[in-house]
Amino acid sequence: MELLVNISLLFMLSLTVIAVVRLKSLFAIVMLFGIYSLLSAMIFIALDAVDVAFTEAAVGAGISTVLMLATLVTTGRWEKKSSRSSFLPLLIVSITGAALVWGTLDMPEYGNPDNPAHHHVADRYIEQSPEEIGIPNMVTSVLASYRGFDTLGEVIVVFTALIGVLSLLQVRTPPSVAETPLRNENRKLSRPYPVLQVVALVMMPFIILFALYVQFHGDFGPGGGFQAGVIFAVAFILYTLTYGLDDALALTPVSVLKALAAGGVLIYGGTGVVSMLLGGNFLDYNVLSSNPVSGQHIGIIVIELGVGITVASVLICAFYAFMTRALPDQGQKG
Amino acid sequence: MFATATIALLVIMCLALVRAFRGPKIFDRILAVNMFGTKTVLLIAVYGFLTGRPEFLDLGIFYALINFVGVIAALKFIERLEFYDEREER
Repeated sequence: MELLVNISLLFMLSLTVIAVVRLKSLFAIVMLFGIYSLLSAMIFIALDAVDVAFTEAAVGAGISTVLMLATLVTTGRWEKKSSRSSFLPLLIVSITGAALVWGTLDMPEYGNPDNPAHHHVADRYIEQSPEEIGIPNMVTSVLASYRGFDTLGEVIVVFTALIGVLSLLQVRTPPSVAETPLRNENRKLSRPYPVLQVVALVMMPFIILFALYVQFHGDFGPGGGFQAGVIFAVAFILYTLTYGLDDALALTPVSVLKALAAGGVLIYGGTGVVSMLLGGNFLDYNVLSSNPVSGQHIGIIVIELGVGITVASVLICAFYAFMTRALPDQGQKG
Repeated sequence: MFATATIALLVIMCLALVRAFRGPKIFDRILAVNMFGTKTVLLIAVYGFLTGRPEFLDLGIFYALINFVGVIAALKFIERLEFYDEREER
């Protein structure tokens, strides 16, 4: 039965890819990429990689679909016809693909439990992490403690991405206080989507509550700072989509978001510095408390908080930058 | 029972996929993606019970949330695209 599910999911995945290549409408392609992400997330669940499935659904199906749609508004939704012949690219791609397939022939047998990939460091994590770190979700132990340095690098990459986005796209400054009464008058005249606005307002507290649950439940189940940050950002994306960019900018000013994005990285790196000052290695949480295991717990909670703050504020800020381009005259429209 | 439900869901997902591929209108595709997302949520739930580990059900909540916001975003941005043109979605 599980084999049947795996085969049909992979079959649908490859059909989606073929359709993406053949379609000319960029909007349809973005929609199909959403399906692609949902399918691959489902495959990750079937493979028991629930944390990865969480991230794939959040980033692939959620955030990147929204950002790609915002990009389409500025670029137009039809693919340009290429005048050049596609023979040479096809040849190169075929040769590369054949070389890659040839390379897989030397790989160890698929699914064999004795493969080197399963015994390089995984044995130690599985055997020692319940005593050394003592949290049920081993993925979080590896991500936040054993590989804490790598995760710090990932958070810095996310932060750098925000710097890149903001240096290319500028976030619109919200209208000054003097204009506000007129704007409110306008908005009263044409409230665009009252049903959606009420629904968004009712849902927002629950989305934020769910984000906090994912943030602090990451030690016990699938989740953690990255996923929680995305869910937190989704709440504000929903608010922006229904209420407009001006209201969202008034709710979360860009200057605050920039400070929070940097602050999250600071919390993460600061934890490392504190552990150094207490006599341990960089990001060695054992020294944070008198008991090494509870020190690990404190360290993981703190750095996951830093990750969540950075990811949430970076995504919200990048979304505002895209929205500034996509819906430039929304303030006047209402 | 869970096996039958899984197969039924996979069949429905294939049907939604066909609608997403064929279009022809933009709204057909949005509806297909929305339906595909709903079926993914159901498949997560059913698959959890099928394999005897239903503790990952809260992932389903998140998929439903992402699906909802994604469809609102698609419809919102489509207002800005001139979608009443006569060209077929191909």
